Amino acid sequence: MSSIIPIRGTSLRNFNLLLQTAPRLVNSQFRPHTTSSNPSSVNPIEVSHFNALASTWWDPHGSSRLLHLMNPLRHDFIKRCHATQPTPVAKEGLRYLDIGCGGGIFAESAARLGSTGTVLGIDPTPEVLAVARKHARQDPGLQGKLEYRNMSIEGLPKPTSLNEQYDVLTLFEVIEHITHPADFLDACRDHVKPGGWVILSTIARTWTSWFTTKLMAEDVAGIVPKGTHDWGKYINEEELRAYFLGEQGMRSPPGWNGPQVMGVLYVPGVGWRSVTGSEKVGNYFFGIRRDE
Amino acid sequence: MNPVLSSLRARQLSGVRCRTCARLLRREKRSFATASGAGDPEGDPEIYDVVCVGGGPAGLSLLAALRSHPTTSRLRLALIETQSLTPLRTFAPQPDSYSNRCSSLTPASVGFLDGIGAWRHVRRERVMSYGGMRVWDGVSGESIGFDVDGGGGGVEGVKEEREGTEGSNGGVVAYMNENVNLTSALLRRIEELGGVDILEGEKVEDIAFGEDTPTADLTSWPVITTSSGTRLAARLLVGADGANSPVRTFAGIESRGWDYNRVGLVATLKLSGPGWGGEGKKIAYQRFLPTGPVAMLPLPGNMSTLVWSTTPALAARLKSLSPEDFCAMVNAAFRLRTPDLKFLHTIEGGQKDEVSWRETHTKFSREQVPQDVVAVQPGSIASFPLKFRHADSYISQRIALVGDAAHSVHPLAGQGLNQGQGDVEALTQNIIYNVEHGADIGTRMNLEGYGKERYWRNHVLMGVVDKLHKLYATENLGVVRVRSLGLGIVDRLEGVKGWVMRRAAGERGLF
Ligand SMILES: Cc1cc2nc3c(=O)[nH]c(=O)nc-3n(C[C@H](O)[C@H](O)[C@H](O)COP(=O)(O)OP(=O)(O)OC[C@H]3O[C@@H](n4cnc5c(N)ncnc54)[C@H](O)[C@@H]3O)c2cc1C
Repeated sequence: MSSIIPIRGTSLRNFNLLLQTAPRLVNSQFRPHTTSSNPSSVNPIEVSHFNALASTWWDPHGSSRLLHLMNPLRHDFIKRCHATQPTPVAKEGLRYLDIGCGGGIFAESAARLGSTGTVLGIDPTPEVLAVARKHARQDPGLQGKLEYRNMSIEGLPKPTSLNEQYDVLTLFEVIEHITHPADFLDACRDHVKPGGWVILSTIARTWTSWFTTKLMAEDVAGIVPKGTHDWGKYINEEELRAYFLGEQGMRSPPGWNGPQVMGVLYVPGVGWRSVTGSEKVGNYFFGIRRDE
Repeated sequence: MNPVLSSLRARQLSGVRCRTCARLLRREKRSFATASGAGDPEGDPEIYDVVCVGGGPAGLSLLAALRSHPTTSRLRLALIETQSLTPLRTFAPQPDSYSNRCSSLTPASVGFLDGIGAWRHVRRERVMSYGGMRVWDGVSGESIGFDVDGGGGGVEGVKEEREGTEGSNGGVVAYMNENVNLTSALLRRIEELGGVDILEGEKVEDIAFGEDTPTADLTSWPVITTSSGTRLAARLLVGADGANSPVRTFAGIESRGWDYNRVGLVATLKLSGPGWGGEGKKIAYQRFLPTGPVAMLPLPGNMSTLVWSTTPALAARLKSLSPEDFCAMVNAAFRLRTPDLKFLHTIEGGQKDEVSWRETHTKFSREQVPQDVVAVQPGSIASFPLKFRHADSYISQRIALVGDAAHSVHPLAGQGLNQGQGDVEALTQNIIYNVEHGADIGTRMNLEGYGKERYWRNHVLMGVVDKLHKLYATENLGVVRVRSLGLGIVDRLEGVKGWVMRRAAGERGLF
């Protein structure tokens, strides 16, 4: 295991991406909480971490390499979700909202698709967003299709019409950094068009993820400052499902259907592979469609 | 928006995705415009997804492949080719006259060309498929006769055979075809699909990185200036520009190798008949001589094409001979013993009589060698230097190399053009995958798959071809004995032979 974990302060995201198998320890992530003192979903410690990441974001051999390699799978998963719709997805003009867009790896790629109308990428970390903007200038094809805003989801005005809503709202490697995911998802939900999708990727809460991120990286090796990684924040797939479908006493009103999941595994030397069942143990994608 | 500008744009940039920026660029370009206007060397470059330098077999098939696939058909493409393409457009050959630049296309290449809709534009009556190869050691006489099944030959039914038996290729080892027949078919396919900006008769004068303007940062984009002053910015610049690739030079990619101190002497020949087995059972012949292999490859009817690898001095001597003496020398090359051949190269004329006299004193089986050469097509004798070159890498940021720009190999295995088709197929797949996933088709990281896949396949193949050349370019008795033993054994081992034959036929797998 150790041989495949490039533990560095700046490779936090990679680090999360690499976590793999273990028995499960489920203790619902969507537990009730007392009102937050922070009106934004954004955790300031997370923000400072992603600042440190900024400079290497687009270095294909840098600490974000695993994210770059994962990006095609994001599109494959979205295609897979779209294919389950009873009505075929539009061939053009799709609107994307990429929350926590970081340096823009996904946002740029989404904007390049022929079926895309526009992409809005938002991220609370200014340095990272500066990297995203600078990088997007290197591709004149993105102009007019891709926009970045430095804000959290709470800062985005609530949509007042269908035209302001999105066909695809994406949260890639974001939710595990959020203090109160239920509040956060509440804020995201309204931005999705009826018939549109919430697509996210994250990592399951397992013994391995606890061992590698909490115990090893923080307590033993001390590479990641203590407390940055709240392993308790990791979310399991059935919790997401329950939240959107309003099951198990979850507060979310129903209005969502057709949840999809795809577990992925990083195989060194091979790359990311979709592996059935692996959502139970490590990284996975989750998608769910808003009722039409 | 200025209506003139917008209509101008709609025409020039149809199919471009970066409409806004192109408009802005255009506007700026105007403000920079000089009095002369044309070419606008001071202004901003036109933006393309793929700029292909070189309109040979590799470059043209890349463009045809990209245009014919729905995923990539929206990309904005440009071709820059030094030579005029008019001869390809007006290709109307005489039935009995063949170009001296022929290549054997493997079934894999033909399958690819068929898939991109180009094969049906090839003049099929000029393509000769063959199902057998007779290869032998010119010193020991030991056969390496990789005969598949003797069938598979024929002008007609090329396509049926290929489709008939998947995998076995209906016994076809390869399709002998004039390069010009292929390139004109490719160009016809490209022009039938439309949408490629063709800059022909224009040389690449300069390649430099773009600038950081208020509208876009093109500092990672190669900007090509052509001899007419046109400037093109390339998301992906493809070097299909042959062995002396200016694109490779721009990318700073080293191409290593050596010269064989050999030339490939080519000629179009007329034989006394259509081959020992008749029109339906054509065979290719190759004899390894100490100076290099000599090969006779079948064309329709009584015609054949010659590729004789030899030293520059001996090639010069051959070229200086009268047509009769030249034909006699070719006959001798497949029949006489090497000391006789050596002698025949030293005399300035009279080979015809010398050869016919010596033939009567040499033991060989008539039906094991090509039928007699009776004439050489006037003006068809030419020679090309033979080199071994392999680029250190096929990719760089916003650069990909295909075909001879990436590799040159000894023609003894007839693989050079086919390797280029394999490159193009792999690069096309790579681009399709990237477009489908919203990836920038030009970045080094996104090109890595192409580079890895093709480099090693070509590397192994080129190594084998080079070793074969070296193994046979000697008269050292020890080596001759060992190689005869080795290849004699290969000839008897059906499994190994089959494997070698499938490599020759361009089948996939292993490497
Ligand atoms: C004697 C001989 C026999 C052969 N036999 C076979 C065979 O049987 N089977 C086989 O597979 N292969 C064979 N080959 C190899 C085959 O001919 C080549 O591999 C093939 O032609 C390479 O194609 P290409 O498109 O990569 O390059 P090229 O055919 O060299 O095309 C490059 C193009 O780029 C253009 N160009 C160059 N510089 C510039 C510039 N600065 N600006 C714009 N345009 C430029 C050139 O005009 C040219 O059209 C043989 C080669 C030789 C020498």
